[in-house]
Amino acid sequence: MIIENTKLAFKAMIGSKLRTLLSLLGIVIGVASVVTILTLGQSIQTNITKSISSAGPDLITFSPRSYSKSISMFTEKYASNIKALSPDIETVMAIDQGNSTIRVGQQNDSTTVYGVPSDYSNNLAMTFSSGEFFNLTQSITSRQVVVLGSNVATGLFPTGNAVGQNVMLYRGTQGKPYKVVGVVEDKDAIFSLNFNYSVFIPYSTYQSRFSKSSYVHSYIIKVTDQNNTLGVSNTVENYFNTKIGKDYFRIISPTTVAKMATSVTSTLSSFLAAIAAISLLVGGIGIMNIMLVSVSERTKEIGIRKALGAAPSVIRGQFICESLVITLIGGLIGVAIGLIASYAFSVSMGTTFVISTFSIILSMGFSMLIGLFFGWYPALKASKLDPIEALNYE
Amino acid sequence: MDTIIKIDRASRFYNVGDITVKALENISLEIKKGEFTSIMGPSGSGKSTLMNLIGCLDSPSDGNIYIDGQPTFNMDEEDLAYLRNNKVGFIFQQFNLLSKLTALENVITPLLYSDVKKKDRVILAKEALRKVGLEDRMYHRPNEMSGGQKQRVAIARAIVTNPSIILADEPTGALDSKTGKQIMEVFWHLHEEGRTIIVVTHDIELGNQCLRQIHIKDGHLVEDKK
Repeated sequence: MIIENTKLAFKAMIGSKLRTLLSLLGIVIGVASVVTILTLGQSIQTNITKSISSAGPDLITFSPRSYSKSISMFTEKYASNIKALSPDIETVMAIDQGNSTIRVGQQNDSTTVYGVPSDYSNNLAMTFSSGEFFNLTQSITSRQVVVLGSNVATGLFPTGNAVGQNVMLYRGTQGKPYKVVGVVEDKDAIFSLNFNYSVFIPYSTYQSRFSKSSYVHSYIIKVTDQNNTLGVSNTVENYFNTKIGKDYFRIISPTTVAKMATSVTSTLSSFLAAIAAISLLVGGIGIMNIMLVSVSERTKEIGIRKALGAAPSVIRGQFICESLVITLIGGLIGVAIGLIASYAFSVSMGTTFVISTFSIILSMGFSMLIGLFFGWYPALKASKLDPIEALNYE
Repeated sequence: MDTIIKIDRASRFYNVGDITVKALENISLEIKKGEFTSIMGPSGSGKSTLMNLIGCLDSPSDGNIYIDGQPTFNMDEEDLAYLRNNKVGFIFQQFNLLSKLTALENVITPLLYSDVKKKDRVILAKEALRKVGLEDRMYHRPNEMSGGQKQRVAIARAIVTNPSIILADEPTGALDSKTGKQIMEVFWHLHEEGRTIIVVTHDIELGNQCLRQIHIKDGHLVEDKK
């Protein structure tokens, strides 16, 4: 009977093409919106997670906002106090940074100079296109050595061979020569730290040549296991909250940002999908309207079918089947349009396209439910028609 | 002969506002299997109401009707539909074919609601169309057929489920006299096959062609002539 009802549904749809198309439109738009929004949401979330995992999910950046309140706390030595806060902390690196001009012969460029410890490159999984990072000896003896970001190296040494050359780093108008020991391979930025446009010198060298003070710009905390990043971040945050107050520092980690971003994206896309689902509801009302018209127009047919032995439950099934076929077709077209649209958006935004199976199942299921719900009343009305009155209907 | 229809003091009342209209009152009659009967009466006499009761499209307000031994009083819609599908074949004045379906699909329709297996439906429908001489028009739609052909399709549809009773409501009313005669010939053939045929008509000439004539007037049975 289901096959026969489906055939009848298609016949009825073909019989009034324009009307069917218009009633389909509501479902198509609704499903397409839900699929587009949820698929895009998922794509964005996947992209965030991907970029976070390449940005070091086991790192936390901690930086003071105001030195006046907590000046004594933010020195290189205080790193060991932070490390002692949790056994999950592998290491705490004191970092300092500032802007500088870098010059080789007539070539010069603006860059950010980072004063970092020698284990910085290992902790941040940096790789080198040539040379290597400065070692511990060079670091503690405040040697004037520098590691160049890939774009800085290309800018200053277009022909390559930067390692072993000297560059001038300026603090104000005062320049000092630094020996290039390594060039970092292209690497994605972590927040404001853009590896490709930065240079790295030993922390002690930075203090003596650039900052001339013992205060750090920030700490980078590396945790033993990335699953503990959030926990460690909270521990450190709570500690400093009680020590200096929350307005005097900033703590940020790719993982916490990812969680925040994922939560925001997910809330936003759920909210938008809910709005889109309203259009599905409106589409459902359209279907109900069309089905009521159809029942009214086909009263005579219903009467004939009843006279031929169709039970009320069969007539009900026929009209519910029609409603479901409309929403199923509308849903399928909607899913196709939704996927095409979200693919186009993903390409234009440069994000990876991820098909959200959940959104397809959800929107198809929801549209079928709408078909069932809004088809029920017209079907019930059809099944309750008096066969004699229906037969005599003109 | 076995009784196929037994009407036992059946009445049918309708409430129109505060007024109760007695469409049929205290009718009792029996029709045997294989009889060729006409139910006659002027417009408003109650003959259509009687046809609806016999055809299980309606159930009596009082009394009982037995179709092939089964009482229809207090039957629900589902059971009445089952009985209609299995025991009654309808033929209407205006043919009442489904306009979007071909002749074959129209004849198959009652089988959709029966227990007949899918593969047998087409075979049975083609056989029914062959019986009424329309095997060459089976893929035509009603709008491509003449009145006589449409009525033959309706007859094929009525007999396809092999019902005990064939109920024809003014079967020649929409046809010219020549075509009407041809349709009556088809009924005679069906009668010869042993089918029970009831023709409901106000046309005395047509009614008199049947072997038994039942006259209804003002909701009462006034004459039963064999």
